[in-house]
Amino acid sequence: MNRRKPLSPRPRPTLRRLLHRAHLRVALLAMGLSSLSLTLVSLLALSSYAEHNLQLIARSLAYTLEAAVVFDDRAAVAETLALICTTEEIASATVLNQQGQPMATFTAPVQGLLGRGEQLIAHLLLPQQISQPIVYQGQSIGTLHLSGQGATLARFALGGLFGLAASLLFSALGAAYGSRRMQRAITQPLRDLSNVAHGISIDRTFNRRVPATHIADLNELAEDFNALLDQLEIWQQQLQRENASLAHQASHDALTGLPNRALFESRLLGAMREARDSQSQMAVLFLDSNKFKDINDQLGHAAGDAVLIAIAQRLRGLLREGDLVSRLGGDEFAVLLKPIHDEEDALLIADKIIDSMNAPILLPEGGQITTSLSIGIALYPEHADNPEALVHQADVAMYHAKRNQGGRTLASPQESMTP
Amino acid sequence: MSRRSPRHANLTALLLGILLLAPAPGPLAESEASNSATLRAAKVAKVVHGILGYTRWPQQPATVRLCIIAPTEYADLLWQEHALEAPLPVETTRLLVDSPRLESDCEAVYLGVLPDEQRQALYARLLGRPILSISETTSECSEGSLFCLGIADEHVAFRVNLDSVARSGLRIHPNVLQLARRSGAQP
Repeated sequence: MNRRKPLSPRPRPTLRRLLHRAHLRVALLAMGLSSLSLTLVSLLALSSYAEHNLQLIARSLAYTLEAAVVFDDRAAVAETLALICTTEEIASATVLNQQGQPMATFTAPVQGLLGRGEQLIAHLLLPQQISQPIVYQGQSIGTLHLSGQGATLARFALGGLFGLAASLLFSALGAAYGSRRMQRAITQPLRDLSNVAHGISIDRTFNRRVPATHIADLNELAEDFNALLDQLEIWQQQLQRENASLAHQASHDALTGLPNRALFESRLLGAMREARDSQSQMAVLFLDSNKFKDINDQLGHAAGDAVLIAIAQRLRGLLREGDLVSRLGGDEFAVLLKPIHDEEDALLIADKIIDSMNAPILLPEGGQITTSLSIGIALYPEHADNPEALVHQADVAMYHAKRNQGGRTLASPQESMTP
Repeated sequence: MSRRSPRHANLTALLLGILLLAPAPGPLAESEASNSATLRAAKVAKVVHGILGYTRWPQQPATVRLCIIAPTEYADLLWQEHALEAPLPVETTRLLVDSPRLESDCEAVYLGVLPDEQRQALYARLLGRPILSISETTSECSEGSLFCLGIADEHVAFRVNLDSVARSGLRIHPNVLQLARRSGAQP
């Protein structure tokens, strides 16, 4: 009935860890996918807007540059480029004249790591370079090349990443909180169940029951468990009753219900130790029914049984609380008297027993019969100092009594030396 | 055919020789100076055509008649066809400063170097008329010319007299005015 220990060397995951893992996985997957797709879609939308914006800048720049290109005024072209490109998100701009010779260029300074990141993002998400013809009266008089700067996109991507990280963190925290709550809701009833099972296996407290819980499945489990406990309790009680009855049967005589020889001897041993310790006297009476064999032969076993039962009843009725009467076998009975003051007490009780046999015994087939007893008395510590010897002395005394036509006989001290 | 081909080859060789040899004679400095002058003339032509292109007359003519008055230094290329002003053909003529046709036959006037009195008289005649005046020297902007050129070594800038522009009734594209102001700022 020991609690089973895990056999595998690897520790088994707890319910809490499993729940937490499952929660975390779902939360991270959901948040990650949704944020990622949202960020990607927005990034694409933003990049198309940025491209559109770049084209718009190119068109308006081409229009603004028109006159300067017509007049071949390179300084004015450079000035206009610088003026517009510094306020807009332009990485570089070049104006070529009709012959394809560069008139002016503008390059935005790249600042630090962020600038390089912006460049990278611009490379990834924006068109490399857009070309816009500069038109004067329907004729192309030059070309404007523009490439965009990814500042807004970079900021958005960075913000998106931050947002993603933050939402992942929050969902992880939420998952931890949720799993802890769920774990508490699940483990408490399970712990109750486990406590009860443990208590029963260790302390045999079959009367304990698992308390009800608000989770339907676990409540059902608890109810089933309680029903099992009910059956176990009933079974246990029945087992105890059977044990007790078996123990009684082993130490008592089935016919008269008196303790048998084994019990008598063990009690006698205990009583003798007690008497030795307390310096008190006790007596053993050995009883035998006179002519019991004749009754049995002539009137049948049922009559014999009735006689034995009657003797047992009468003996029990005469004795004190501390005394013990036992059927040793056949028609032999033994009585343990403790404590007694002197041999007169034992003789007096023996006389009472002999007197009690004068009343007739009713037989089951009808009719009645009287029987008589022969009683041998042995005293402790006068006649013997061990149980076997004491019983033997009483037995011998009983034979003396029987030879003298019944009655009672006290064991003689001389005979105690012989065995 | 076989008999004629040697003559053809000879002719070709001759032409090729002339073409190759042509730039060879003449001192280098002279050619550089003439190159520089030609470059300036080209620039002047470009600026003048640019201004003409960005100008709108009250009655838009089918052809802009550009009258060149007085001795000019860089007006030589104004007679040539210009690549850019296809929608508005320019017809260049040379007039005397006291020509009566000035007011009636010119949409634009290119002024060379003139004595002060003649110049002032001319500006008085042009005042308030829808005639675009471009003078070759910078100082004249204050005297009544709508535009005046500032010809530096390799650079041709121009200034604008906004007052005269307003009086003339011509509409000049703001981009040009912007360029002019900037050009005017650096003489």
